[in-house]
Amino acid sequence: MAAIHFGYTISKPRAIDLDRNNLRKSDEILREMPELQTCIGCGSCTAVCTAGNLTEFNFRKVHTLVRRGEYQGAYEEMNKCMLCGKCRLVCPRGINTRGVVLLIKRKLGDF
Amino acid sequence: MNFFVPFCIPFIVGAVAMFITLAWKWGLWLYRLPRADKKRIVCGLPTRATLDAAGEVVCESLLHRRIFRVNPLLGYMHMSLAFGWFLLIAVGWAETIAYVGFRWVPLQGHVFFRYFATGLPHKPVFAFIMDLLLLFVLSGVALAWGKRFFSKRMGMRRTTRHVLGDRIALSALWFIFPARLIAESTTCALYEGGGFLTGTIGAWMGEHISTMTLLTLESVAWWFYSSCLGIFFVALPFSRYMHIFTEIPLIFLRRYRLRSDEKESSYDRFQVDACSRCGICIDPCQLQSVLGVDNVQSVYFLRDRRYGMLRAEVADNCLLCGRCAQRCPVQIDLNTLRINSRDRLHNIPAERRYDYLKGVDRSSGTGKVGYFAGCMTLLTPRTLVAMERIFHAAGEEVWWADRDGSVCCGRPLKLAGETDAACKMREYNTELFRKHGITTLVTSCPICLKVFREDYALDGIEVLHHSQYIFRLIQSGRLAIERGAGQFTYHDPCELGRGSGIYDEPRAVIEAIGLLLEPVDTRENALCCGSSVANTAITDGQQLQIARSVTAELEATGAGTIVTACPLCKKALGRGAVHAEVRDLSEIVADAVSK
Ligand code: SF4
Ligand code: SF4
Ligand code: SF4
Ligand code: SF4
Ligand code: SF4
Repeated sequence: MAAIHFGYTISKPRAIDLDRNNLRKSDEILREMPELQTCIGCGSCTAVCTAGNLTEFNFRKVHTLVRRGEYQGAYEEMNKCMLCGKCRLVCPRGINTRGVVLLIKRKLGDF
Repeated sequence: MNFFVPFCIPFIVGAVAMFITLAWKWGLWLYRLPRADKKRIVCGLPTRATLDAAGEVVCESLLHRRIFRVNPLLGYMHMSLAFGWFLLIAVGWAETIAYVGFRWVPLQGHVFFRYFATGLPHKPVFAFIMDLLLLFVLSGVALAWGKRFFSKRMGMRRTTRHVLGDRIALSALWFIFPARLIAESTTCALYEGGGFLTGTIGAWMGEHISTMTLLTLESVAWWFYSSCLGIFFVALPFSRYMHIFTEIPLIFLRRYRLRSDEKESSYDRFQVDACSRCGICIDPCQLQSVLGVDNVQSVYFLRDRRYGMLRAEVADNCLLCGRCAQRCPVQIDLNTLRINSRDRLHNIPAERRYDYLKGVDRSSGTGKVGYFAGCMTLLTPRTLVAMERIFHAAGEEVWWADRDGSVCCGRPLKLAGETDAACKMREYNTELFRKHGITTLVTSCPICLKVFREDYALDGIEVLHHSQYIFRLIQSGRLAIERGAGQFTYHDPCELGRGSGIYDEPRAVIEAIGLLLEPVDTRENALCCGSSVANTAITDGQQLQIARSVTAELEATGAGTIVTACPLCKKALGRGAVHAEVRDLSEIVADAVSK
């Protein structure tokens, strides 16, 4: 049966071994922005994202991976953000998302 | 008369040190100015600008007219110190000439003239004027003392907390004039003369104190006076009092059209050092009044920047609402300075960034009038729908720049300090507008409006805020409006009001629809909604707190509807409102369009 195309894709399932990842940067980020821990992964930020509407960029995915210690490429990804602030207005947890973008870039500039 | 005694040494050393430091600082700042700025100065020198600047120096640096407008008592305090001291020097100079004729007298001869003049015949008119002036300055000093304890009486809830250099200079300054009073009085006690102040005190001292004691006291008092002056002069270029000498060149440079920009430049030094740390910018700041954050206001930002101890936490925690800049008596361009500090802290090279924008064009329509919704308007679709209805009712053919996906205008990036990246957005959007050959660009977001007007090179395209556009439609009869019984209050968005000077059009439009009720803080003094994209530091809860305080004031007008003209303000106020409805200007217009 041909799959119905709903206009979005689903990421491939994968396993992250938290014991193997170095969480130092992640801890630093969460210490400076504790509210990020309250993210419920709803994806509203990504749904409205100006940049995500024009290119492959998924804000929720990037910050979720960073929290899990997967830093590879996060800086480059975050550089796609235009800091427009729409995500901040829709986040149901009131997370300072623009602050998150800037913080991740500051912490992971050398990855 | 040789005009030298040992007690002059502290004064001379201080004065020489001060002038060397000043010359060095000014020279360096001027030398480092970009070539274009230097050219502006040279071209401006022989024009009217020079005269105007001189006039402004008298009004502001001496008389402090703008502070008078904030609070008369505070203005008097600043004026008595500045203008009074200036007159003391000027009249003192005249006094010396009157006594000894036109001959060269060294600096200390003028300053300590009363000490040297004891052998000369008495000139009561000068003695009287000089005493009057001294009293004038002393009244200012007394007020300055008082301000420390009763700041509220001078219209200030909070006063500035000072650094060590300031405290030294401040203490020296506070003692200079009382010391002068005592020194001159003791001299009068010994040699007679003096006016109603020094003469009277001197006579009293002469009666009650023995001559031997008076002789010692005289030497001590003059030494003390001279030391206070010396300490003050040495500390001056490193303290807030540097503003005395920096405001003057700043006024001239500003008249020659030098401006600060998104990148730091040498001209900024004149602005930064011209801050007198008067603290007038503290009270209007809502981060202070609502949130109790009290170390980020412009006065502290400038202080930290000046001494090279600026931290990102301070630079970033500001709404760039402009409420402080609006009040600043020195008219420092506070927002731009904040932006270029952020640029230094956060800018990253952006050659390869946003390559994904190549070839993107989601626009539709063919009109010569372009409509740019902006990211925020796309999140407030009612505004978008209302604009659609208005365009339709007016029969306007519209080119929709970004209805199906926008590229940001770039201002949020600029406000965050990523100015190179903002440049990319500018390039992209400019090319898009040019490609579609529009002649008018309408936007419903004041943040976009400001960047289009100030940073884009859009010659040949008129940029309008939707409030201006709608106002024109109504005025020219293209849009018929029915007046109703609605009662509205209007929130001035910062970027639209203080930022772009648009206050009247939105009000005229509202008055065409219903009754407009003004809140307490309105127009130039309007409050910020708190959700400004310029602030990446405060939390959601803090934004909400500010929004609540603002809507409380708006609701106090009794209006059933809060109208604003910024999608971001609408979102922010919508969260804070308790019983009023929050709507964009376009929505109430669309509802009132005659069927
Ligand atoms: S601020 Fe960045 S992440 Fe958030 S919506 Fe805008 S482009 Fe997307
Ligand atoms: S909108 Fe907020 S809560 Fe939802 S995924 Fe994004 S950051 Fe997390
Ligand atoms: S920025 Fe302006 S208002 Fe604020 S302390 Fe300095 S001079 Fe005064
Ligand atoms: S711009 Fe606004 S938020 Fe920033 S310091 Fe001035 S008053 Fe406070
Ligand atoms: S959203 Fe409106 S009120 Fe709020 S900071 Fe921006 S312009 Fe000012």
